[in-house]
Amino acid sequence: MLKMNNISKVYQTEMVQTHALRDFNLNVEEGEFIAVTGPSGSGKTTFLNIAGMLEPFSSGEYLLDGIDVGKLNDNQRADLRNQKIGFIFQGFNLIPDLNLYENVEVPLRYRGIKAAERKRRIEQCLEQVGLASRAKHLPQQLSGGQQQRVAIARALAGEPRFLLADEPTGNLDSLMARQVMELLEQINRDGATIVMVTHDAELARRAPRNIQVVDGQLADFTLYQGKPNVAVGA
Amino acid sequence: MLEIKPIINALLRSKVGAVLLLIQIAITTAIVSNAAFIINDRINYLNQPTGYEEENIFKFNVMTFGTGVDLIQQIELDEDRIRQLPGVVDAVQISAIPLSGGGSSTSFRLKPVPEKSKSVNASYFETDEHGLNTLGVNLIAGRNFTQEEVVINRDFTKYPNVALATKALMDELYPDGDGLGKTIYTGDKPLTIVGIIGMMKGPWMKLEERKDKSVIIPMLDPSKLHQFLVRTESGRRAEVMTQIEDLMHESYDKRVIQDLTGLDKKKADYVAEDLLMMRMLVILISVLVLVTALGIFGLTLFNINKRTKQIGTRRALGARKSAIIKYFVVENSLICIAGLVLGVCGAVFLGQQLMAHYSVPALSYWYVAVTAVAVFAMSLLAVIGPAKRAANIAPSIATRTI
Ligand SMILES: Nc1ncnc2c1ncn2[C@@H]1O[C@H](COP(=O)(O)OP(=O)(O)OP(=O)(O)O)[C@@H](O)[C@H]1O
Ligand SMILES: [Mg+2]
Repeated sequence: MLKMNNISKVYQTEMVQTHALRDFNLNVEEGEFIAVTGPSGSGKTTFLNIAGMLEPFSSGEYLLDGIDVGKLNDNQRADLRNQKIGFIFQGFNLIPDLNLYENVEVPLRYRGIKAAERKRRIEQCLEQVGLASRAKHLPQQLSGGQQQRVAIARALAGEPRFLLADEPTGNLDSLMARQVMELLEQINRDGATIVMVTHDAELARRAPRNIQVVDGQLADFTLYQGKPNVAVGA
Repeated sequence: MLEIKPIINALLRSKVGAVLLLIQIAITTAIVSNAAFIINDRINYLNQPTGYEEENIFKFNVMTFGTGVDLIQQIELDEDRIRQLPGVVDAVQISAIPLSGGGSSTSFRLKPVPEKSKSVNASYFETDEHGLNTLGVNLIAGRNFTQEEVVINRDFTKYPNVALATKALMDELYPDGDGLGKTIYTGDKPLTIVGIIGMMKGPWMKLEERKDKSVIIPMLDPSKLHQFLVRTESGRRAEVMTQIEDLMHESYDKRVIQDLTGLDKKKADYVAEDLLMMRMLVILISVLVLVTALGIFGLTLFNINKRTKQIGTRRALGARKSAIIKYFVVENSLICIAGLVLGVCGAVFLGQQLMAHYSVPALSYWYVAVTAVAVFAMSLLAVIGPAKRAANIAPSIATRTI
């Protein structure tokens, strides 16, 4: 479902060129749950941003569901993000002036879904993350774990096939982190493909597949359909 | 695709920036519409038709200190000498100078005092049969008075019995338009109106009720200080003016010539204060509009910078650039409309206060409407740049900032 061939990403600043990703190759199959680990600054977020079409890449090829992302224009990428990808951020990124209901509604409005259908989906997703009763609350009235669950509800509302999470538990204590992890596992069992960046080794171990990004390149610890996907080994 | 409801909800939850902008828009609308109205009122006032060729007319005062001169005889002599100057159309001794701010007025009635009757206040000029031609105003009905009808006031025993009056005065006294030939009264003295003058401003341009209402009375009643009015051929006024002092002194030198001034200059002095006020208002309006435009621009920019991460998140969630632009334009328009509603009420209120306390005419609501539309257009212009900037915020901001 996701296929990256020789992706590289160079950040050009005045003084330095940063090779955030170098000849990055990855294959993600439908229904996988992948934990991405690696040292700070190794390129995990860069990888996730490119996977989620939040940034362009410098060279290589990226196919999402068979679509060549490099050939899309800005509007097409926005639409594709909206339809296929759900984002979960470390900082939750809820919109502070919108209540939970309206927050979950945001991606649905961008897709132009009718009000009745929006309502059905929002209620269902808030139910799923256990916050249906607080739909009228504002984000700052919730704990971090609850906010992250709202963010997950928002990511789920559009029924994306692909969830990208950048350290979703990074701002949470271990109990809340485990709850969020359980929620993600449930979502994965329901059929969504998940790629999750984490610094938490324990959480990473719970994921069926672990990959490591080191210095902009991929080190895969799992054998992938019999073929090792290894560039830099453990 | 983008609905107003969540924008309103979000605005209601964080009001400060929006309220500041709203107040600024309201104040601007209230002040600018009233100021624009007053400016236009002033422009109309400054440009009102006077009936005179102001640039071809001048006046001067004669202050006689010598005794043993027959003033009236001397005046007739002076008039003759001035009229013979090349370039002069006509010249006359006259009791008041139009557009100068100084003159006399009295009540003109349909019946003599003490009978009850309609009475209208009007300015009056005392001059001889050359007055009409020197002023250069148009007689639209009847005739000028004759030399024989001019009363030369040596002993105060006689008062003229004919006069000319402006149409504005006659329309008020005789709404049916049949005033020519009728007799009106000042006090108990009858004056038969033999001619009606079209447009002719009196000494005052301001007082709405008498600025166009004047009477010309055929009388010569000079004092030691009297004034002359001279009309020249087009373009020859300056040349004539330079000769006046010598000409006057040649025939009698125990007197001084003062205030030798063009009628246009007289008028400019008279309206100088109004012109100044108008210029101040224009500056005020310009500054206000500039400040508002900057305010809208700045607040929108501030609102956007404050929400950089949110915008990135929205983009990550699938917002197209156009949706971001629309968001800010709609948000700004909502604030603007609320501000305009408040501003329109403020404008009407301010207009009423100005009318009540500063004798400003009633505010025309056209000015409010046009100002509101202009402020709205300006706020749209101010928001479009920042909104475009917002749309260009990279979606990766969503993951790159905590
Ligand atoms: N916008 C940018 N401009 C320049 N360099 C950048 C930019 N974003 C990231 N980098 C650089 O790219 C490299 C990879 O960054 P990235 O954020 O992907 O690392 P990461 O693995 O997510 O690190 P962390 O675990 O600390 O989040 C780093 O060296 C970083 O400094
Ligand atoms: Mg990172």
